[in-house]
Amino acid sequence: MQRILVNTLAALAMAVAATAPALAQDIPTLLKDADHYRMGADNLQVDTQVSVFHTDGSPDKERRYTVFAQAGRKSLVLMQSPVEKGQKVLMLGDDFWLVMPGSQRPLRITPMQKLLGDASTGDIATMSWAGDYTGQLLGEEPCSAEAKTPVCLHLSLQAARKGVTYQRIELWIGKTRHEPVRADLFVQSDKLAKQAHFVMDQAAHPASVSEMVLVDQLSNKKETRIRYLARKDRTVPEEWLNPMFLAHSPALE
Amino acid sequence: MRSLAPTALCVLAALATPAACADGSDFSGQVRSYGVYRQTANTGPLAQAHALQPGIASVDGSTHTVQLEMRGNATLGPVSLHAGTTLEAQQGGDPSGNTQGRFNEAYASGNVAAGWQWSAGKRVASWDVGYGFRPNDVVQQEQRRTLVAQPLEGRPLLMAERFSADNAWSLVWVNPTQQASTSGARERALAGRGYWHSGAVDWYAFARQGEQTGGSLGAAVSWVASDALELHASVRGGQQLVGGTWTHASQVSLLVEAWHDSTTWSNAQWSAWSARNLALSQWQARGVPAEAVAGNLAQQANAFGVAGNLRQDNVFARVSWQHERWETALDLLYTPADRGVVATASFAWTGERVKLEAGLRATAGPNGAIVRQLPVQRQGYAAATWAF
Repeated sequence: MQRILVNTLAALAMAVAATAPALAQDIPTLLKDADHYRMGADNLQVDTQVSVFHTDGSPDKERRYTVFAQAGRKSLVLMQSPVEKGQKVLMLGDDFWLVMPGSQRPLRITPMQKLLGDASTGDIATMSWAGDYTGQLLGEEPCSAEAKTPVCLHLSLQAARKGVTYQRIELWIGKTRHEPVRADLFVQSDKLAKQAHFVMDQAAHPASVSEMVLVDQLSNKKETRIRYLARKDRTVPEEWLNPMFLAHSPALE
Repeated sequence: MRSLAPTALCVLAALATPAACADGSDFSGQVRSYGVYRQTANTGPLAQAHALQPGIASVDGSTHTVQLEMRGNATLGPVSLHAGTTLEAQQGGDPSGNTQGRFNEAYASGNVAAGWQWSAGKRVASWDVGYGFRPNDVVQQEQRRTLVAQPLEGRPLLMAERFSADNAWSLVWVNPTQQASTSGARERALAGRGYWHSGAVDWYAFARQGEQTGGSLGAAVSWVASDALELHASVRGGQQLVGGTWTHASQVSLLVEAWHDSTTWSNAQWSAWSARNLALSQWQARGVPAEAVAGNLAQQANAFGVAGNLRQDNVFARVSWQHERWETALDLLYTPADRGVVATASFAWTGERVKLEAGLRATAGPNGAIVRQLPVQRQGYAAATWAF
C-alpha cells in the first residue's frame, strides 16, 4: 500500500514538473501567440465567408464579409452578400454602430444588438483575445474528448472589459505552437452559447487559422463555418473609422 | 415613361462599365413587387363628402407596384460619382397604369484641402437620432412610419464635410436652385451639423437658416447606457423627442419613444376642426346644397396633410423579434389627447437574395380620435424583393 502511494506521488510530481514550463508562461503571451494565427498583423483586411448549416448538414445560408481589423480594438465590417449589400458595422473598442444602405444616418447599437445572428458580428470582426481577456492556465489536457493526444494547454478566460462578445471562454491551444484548437464560449449569463474549433491551414506546421467552426449550443444547434478567404496587411484611413463618414460614403473601395 | 428613366439607365450603365472608369466601379440593385390594399373608411369628413357627392375627391386606393432600383458608384481620378434610380410601374394608382423613373441620388464628390470633402448634386442626407420622429432631420425631412419602406429620394444640395477620428462637420446648402418663396422640404436653406463621439455617448448639434422659416438651433444625443439599453433624445425649437431601445439576448427588441411637435395643429385647432365637421354635417338639413356641403367636408380633409404628425403629443412603441431568417414586429402610435391608436403588425423573411414582407395597419380608439377620421382606416401590404 505504501509503495502504491509513493509511486502515485512520484507520478504526480513528474506530471507537475512537466507542466511547470507551460504554467510559467503568462496568459497575455499565450493569448498573443494564439491571436497571431488569426490576426497575423496589427492592421488587416480579411475577406470572410460565413456558411450556416442545419443540424442534418444541409446548407442554410451563406454570407460574405470584408473585415478591416485594426490595432486598438477597432474593426469595420462590410456586408458583401446581395441581400445585405451596403450594410456596415463599425466597432471601436466597446462602441458600436450600424449603417444601413440608403440611409445617411449611423445607428448607435448596444453590445446585445451586436450579438444578433448565427455568426454574430462579434464572431466575424473580433479576431483577438489578448487585451480583452484575463484568466489562468488550468493545465494540460487532451485537445479533444475523443483522443488522448495531442495535448493542449487549457486556458480559462474572463472578460477584462465590457462590450466583448463572450463573458467567459474556455480555450484550448496547442502545447508547442500555441495555435487555437477549440473553445467553449459563454455569454453574460454564463450559459454556454457556442462551441468553436479552429481549422489550421497546415496540420503539421500551422501558420494561420483557415476556418473557425461554431456550433450553437443555446437554441438551434446549427453549425456556422467562418472561412478566412484572404488576409492582407491593410491600414485604413482614419476617417473610415468615423461612423458619420461611413454613413456618407456608399462605397469605400 | 418620363424621359428621365432612360437617362438614369444610361448613367448607371456607364457607372457599371469598368471601361468607363479609371479606378473601378460598383453596381447593385433590386427588383421589388408589392401590393398595398386599402379599405376606404365609412366615417370621417371625406367619407361624408363622398356620401353626398361620389367622387368629389380622390382617396388612395389599392395599388400594385413593380419597382426596379439600381445603384452605382464609380471613381474618375479624384472625383467619385454615385447614382441611384428607381423605375416603377404602378396599377391602381392615380392615374392607373402610371410608370415613372427618377433619380434618387446623382452626385459627385471629392476631397479639398485641410481634410474637407465636397459633394454636389442630388443626395440623401438623413440626420438625427429618432425612429418615429426626427426633429433635426432638417435637410432630408424624411417621412417616417410609412407602411411600405421606399427608397429615399435625395435633395439637390452642395455639401462640405470634414471627418476626424472622433468628430465630423457637415455644411449644406440645400435646394440652392429653388425660388425664394418655396416652402416645406423644398425650401432653400443653409444647414450645419457637428458630431462628437465621446465613449458611450454620441453628441450632435444642428443649425438651420431657411429662406422662409428663418433660423433654428437643435441638439441630439445617443447614449449606450448598458449592454442592452440605448437612450436617445433630440430637441429643436418646439419639437422634442426622448426614447430608448432595449434588446434581450433572445433577440427581442423594444423601442419606446415620446415626442412633442408644436409645428402641427394644437388641441384647440383640432377641437375647432371637429366642431366644424359637426356643423357641416348639419348644413344640408338647413337647405345648403349637397355639392356645397360635400365640398366643404372634403376641404376639411386637407388638415391631415398639415404636418407629419397629426397631434402634438405622441407615444410610440415597437417590439420586434428576430429569429434566424424571420423578423416580426408590432408597433403602436398612441396620441394621448384623444386616445387614438395606429397599430401595425409586420413580418419579414430574408433569404439569400429574396426578401418577403407583409403587414397590416389599422386605427383604433374613440370615434372622436383624429386617426379615426382618416380616409383609410385599414391597410395591408405584401412585398417580394430580389436583390442583385
